Parts: sequence; structure tokens; C-alpha cells
Amino acid sequence: MNSWNSKFQQLASRLKSCPAIFTAALREIFDESAYARFLARNRLSASRVSYAEFLREHEVAKVRRPRCC
Amino acid sequence: MPKSLRILIWLAVAVLGAFALATIALHRGERINAMWLVVAAFCTYGLAYRFYSKFIAAKVLALDPQRATPAERLDNGRDFVPTNKWVVFGHHFAAIAGPGPLVGPVLAAQFGYLPGTLWILAGAVLGGCVQDFVILLFSVRRDGKSLTEMAREEVGRLGGLVAYVAIISIIVILLGVAALIVVNALKNSPWGAFTIAMTIPIALFMGLYLRRLRPGKVLETSVLGFILVMLAIWGGQWASQTPRVAGWFTLTAPTLALLIIIYGFAASALPVWLLLAPRDYLSTFVKLGTIALLALGIIALHPTLHMPPLTRFIDGSGPVFAGNIFPFAFITIACGAISGFHSLISSGTTPKLIRRETETRMVGYGAMMAESMVAIMAMIAACVLQPGTYFAINSPAGIVGQAPETAAATISSWGFPITATEMHSLAQAVGEQTLYNRTGGAPAFAVGMAHIFSNSLGGQAVMAIWYHFAIMFEALFILTVLDAGTRVGRFMVQDALTHVWKPLGRTSWYPSILATSALIVGAWGYFLWQGVKDPLGGINSLWPLFGISNQLLATVALCVATTIIVKMRKARYAAVTLTPLLWLVAVTFTASWHKMFDPNPRIGFLAHAGQLAMGAATAANSRLIFNDRLDAFVTGVLIFMVALILIESAFLWLSVLSGRKQAGVKETAFVPSGFAAEEQG
Repeated sequence: MNSWNSKFQQLASRLKSCPAIFTAALREIFDESAYARFLARNRLSASRVSYAEFLREHEVAKVRRPRCC
Repeated sequence: MPKSLRILIWLAVAVLGAFALATIALHRGERINAMWLVVAAFCTYGLAYRFYSKFIAAKVLALDPQRATPAERLDNGRDFVPTNKWVVFGHHFAAIAGPGPLVGPVLAAQFGYLPGTLWILAGAVLGGCVQDFVILLFSVRRDGKSLTEMAREEVGRLGGLVAYVAIISIIVILLGVAALIVVNALKNSPWGAFTIAMTIPIALFMGLYLRRLRPGKVLETSVLGFILVMLAIWGGQWASQTPRVAGWFTLTAPTLALLIIIYGFAASALPVWLLLAPRDYLSTFVKLGTIALLALGIIALHPTLHMPPLTRFIDGSGPVFAGNIFPFAFITIACGAISGFHSLISSGTTPKLIRRETETRMVGYGAMMAESMVAIMAMIAACVLQPGTYFAINSPAGIVGQAPETAAATISSWGFPITATEMHSLAQAVGEQTLYNRTGGAPAFAVGMAHIFSNSLGGQAVMAIWYHFAIMFEALFILTVLDAGTRVGRFMVQDALTHVWKPLGRTSWYPSILATSALIVGAWGYFLWQGVKDPLGGINSLWPLFGISNQLLATVALCVATTIIVKMRKARYAAVTLTPLLWLVAVTFTASWHKMFDPNPRIGFLAHAGQLAMGAATAANSRLIFNDRLDAFVTGVLIFMVALILIESAFLWLSVLSGRKQAGVKETAFVPSGFAAEEQG
């Protein structure tokens, strides 16, 4: 019975983390996470200037990334 | 869970899957529900993932959770970032899912739903998923190296060269075919042309909004872009009903082709942040949402398939494209079953995000299963249409005739009854003047999708909106592939030209940018123009050429994978990649032979050229003859190159197996994973 309880709790906690993972996946796909990492790495705050700098750095990776047929 | 219960569950899945497959394979003369395809697919994927991919992971690749991945060792917060496996899964799926799995199954539906469905399922679990999984893992073990680099290091210099040529060829042919699909979907369609034209200023606005007003808020900008696109679809109806505006946007195929060529060149030369990046975000947003919506629509509506399991066109006389089931069904459906292009993504960004080696199974094998499911949904969307409607939309005028009555009579004579009045009513329901002669798969898919959506949401009154939403979705998708593909091709050409003259390789030097952009756009633009001018609709010649080049790239990837497995001293398991490799060799080489030398002018390029040569010596005929010979030449060159890498690989395998050459792979050295240590506490 205990083992079923703990399994149920595990499942519930996994389900709870679903929205967070979904949002994280969207943020990764849409490069928001890459921008956040760029800000953290360079100790910058979000602004037009820092975003323009991020775009410059990110541009080469973005255009070389193939999109499948 | 007790082991006996687990065994019982998997046995139940196996029995259910077998029953669903038997239902779709053995029913004759009765219509079946689309849910049988969905059940068969889920059971096949479930079993394959649980047992086959686990076998590959454990025995063939020996995934090591203790081994640090490049994302962990080289973590720089930029290219190499250890990322949650579900996030990588989503990222990888968004990169591999393109218009291919939507278009290929729709075209292959001319054989009936059975051949395509079986190939999508078997091809994916035994071929496509395996390719994506092993290439991803091999790239992870080599610091995220690309397929070309792995081919050069593990097979030889020739391998690297063949991979390079195959990639450039596939990009050029893919872009030409993709643009042709858009042209055929938008020609004489003011509503569609208006909507797609509006996506360009919308993308420019998004680029400026993102850079000037809300820096970094990509999701918010994409949502805003999506709302604007929906308004553009709504505005398209107004445009099509306002004679003056409709006149501006009623474009012929050649005009559309020219506009797309100009657009492709401009998009390649403009700053990335202004057009390419926002379009990419918008397209991805629409793509993920629409695929999810289509899945929900199919499950909610569980429509009946009207297409029979097999049609009379299994004899090779199909109007959509000519050729027998073998090999043509297998090159027509590439992306949903096995696609060489995926190997570029599995050896591109994804390996640099993998946190643990064991996660390559879920990302590589699992994401391809999801892509295969998209292909199953496309097959369903095509097969819910009445067969007469399907053939009326997809058959070129050169086969069924130009006049609606003639086309309807021809299609009815094949045993698929349809009347000109029914087609006229359908065209009116979706807001078009005509739906005849719209080869390429996109309009048929859009009608099927509109049928599913309008029956779930909004009813027949909004069928036109759903149709144009589907057309917008596909065209946006394809134009994004066009932008991105032209740039990737341009960079590849610049990389090669840097060996000739250094400044040509500089990606910021405008003369080089313009010259290489013109080269790539000119190459795919030529294929597009050829397709537009082809009286058989272009798809008959160009889609098989694309399928062949895509499958040839998969052949190269599987050659590299088999070579690495042999060099890992795991030759006893080489069948895992060797079996799909041999199948692809049989398929692509047979298809290439047919496309070059088949005596039927509808199949063989040279026979078609010969037939034209016997006709009047006009300039148009001379051009068509040249195009046929060019297509035959391109096919021949591709096959020759792949034959070279096959021979080189086979010699290498024999040398290693006979002990004449020392086995040894060029992996990066083992470094223990910090994540594993953390987990163990």
C-alpha cells in the first residue's frame, strides 16, 4: 500500500512539473533561454543594447541551424 | 509494478497493435475509422520504443550514464548547454518537423492508405528513429561534430565530400520543390496570396518590435504575430471579395514563382533579426499549435477514411506521380519514415544540449516517432476526402484535362465518381474559384484538415477560414524553410569557396553574400521554374528527385553509422543500421534507375525527352528536353557519389573485420559525469 502511495506521489509531482517543463521547452525553442543565459554570462541586464548584442552573437548559430523539410 | 503485470500490459499492447494493423490491412470494400491508424501507430511506437530502442541503447551503443556529454564538459552557456531532456526533445522535434511529413503522405495516398501507412510505421521504427538516435549519440561522443566531419574522420575524405555534395543537392532540390508546392497552392488564389503576402510585413514588424520595443520577449512577439496572421486570414476573405484588390492578388504560377525567387534572394541578404528570425519564430509557433490541434481534431472527430486501402494506381499509372509502389511509395514518403535531413539536425544543435548520454534515446528515437505520427495524421487528412475529390485536386491538367467537366469525367472513369458541380461547390465552400490541378499535396491536405477542423469547430460556415488557415500554415512553413535553407546553403558554399579565395568565405562581406545568395537562389529557382513550366505539374518529376536525394543522404548517414559500429567491434549488431541501409540502397538505386532510364515517358526523364524530341522543334520543347536531361544527370551524379561512399565503406568494413586494419573510433576520451556523481549522492 505504501509503495502505491509513494508511486502516486511521484506521479503527482511529475504532473505538477509538466507546465514548468512545457514553458521551459517553449523558452528554449524561442531562444528566450539563450538570451537569459547570455545576460547571466555577461552580467548584463535586459535592454535594447544587450539584446542587439545577443542577436549579433547568436546570429551565426541561428542561420547555420538547418530546418528540416 | 510487478513484472508479471508489466508483461501482461505489453502483451495487451502487442495484441491491440496487431489487431489494429490487421484491421487496416485486411479490410476490403468497407470504410474504416481513422482511429485504427492512430491505435496501430501508438502500439507500434510503444513496442518499438520499449524494446527495440532499449536493445539498441543497451547492446549496440552501450549508453553510459557515467560518461560526461559535451554539453557538460564544454558548457559555455552559449553553444554547449546541459538542458532538461524534455526541453531538448521539444527543441529537436521543432527542428525536424517540416512540411515533408505533411506533403509526402498526401501524395502517396494515391496508392490508397495502406502502403503509405505501413511504410511510415515500419520505416520510422526500423529506419528513421534508428538513424536519428545513432547519429545523435555518435555526434555526442565526438563533441557535437557534424555528419560531414564524422564521415570524413570515420569513413574517409571521399565520405566527407559525398556528404557535402549530398547536403548541397538536397537543399537545392528541396527548396525548388517546396517553392513549387507554395506556387501551386497560391496560384489564382487571391485569398491565399494576400494572407501569405501579409506575413512578410508581419514578420518585419515582429523583428522591429522584438529589437526596439520588447527586447528578448520572443514568445510574446510570436503570440502577437499569430494574432496578426489570423487577422490577415480574415482580411484575405475581404481581399478575395473586393474585385480591385482580388485583381492585384490573383497571380499566375510564373508570376508567383518570380516573386518567390526575388523574396528568397532578399531574405537571404537582409539582416537575420529583421526577417528570418521572426518568421522562424512565427512559423514554429503556428506549426506546434496546428500539429497539436490536428491531433486533437482527429481524436475528437475520429473520421472515416473514404480512400480505399489500395487503389488501382498501385500498377504505377497514378495521376499524382507515375511509378509502382516499389520503389516510388518509399521515396515519396521520406520525412515521416526516414529522412536523411534529420541526420544534419542530430549532428547539429541537439548533441550540444544533451545532458546525459542515456537521454539520446528519448530525444533521437522518441522525437522521430512523434514526427512519424505527424505523417500518419497527414495520411488521415488526405484519406478522409472522397477519392474523387482527392484526385481532382491533385491531378495535373496534362493528365485529366483542363475543363472541369473533362477532368471530372476522367476521374470518374477511374472508378472515383466526382462531378464538376461537386468540385465547384467545394471550391466555393473553401473560398476558391477552382480546386482543380492543384498538384503538390498542400491544397489536398488543407481541404482534409479544413474538413476535420470544421466538423469539430465552427461547422461548414467556417470551412473557408480553416482551409486558408491550413494553406497559410503550410506556406508559412515552407517559406521559412526557404529562408533558412537558402542561408544554410549560402554558408556552405562560402565555406567551400574560402579554400579558393579567402574573402569569398567572409560571411559579412557583401559581394560574397550577394554572389553566393544568387548562386543558391538561382539553383533552386531554376528547379522551381522548371516545375512551373512543366505540363505535368512539376511534382511528377521533382518530388521523386527530392525523395531520392533525401534518402541518399540517409544512406550516407547510415553508412557512417554502420562504419562506426563495425569499428566499435560491434559488427554482430551492425544489422541495426545495415538493414535500413540496404533497404534504402535498393529503394534509391531502383528509383534512380527508373527515373533515368524507364521507357515510360511519365517515369523516365530520358524517355520523356525522347518523346518530346519526336514532336515539334519549338523553343518550349527544347527547354523541356534540356530539363529532362538535366534531371537525369543530377540523379546520375547523386547515385554515383553515393555508390562511391558505399564502396569505400564496404572496403573499410572488410578491412576491419579481416583484421587488416585496426579497429578504433575517433571518440573523445571518457570523462566521468558530474551529474551522475550528483545523482549517486
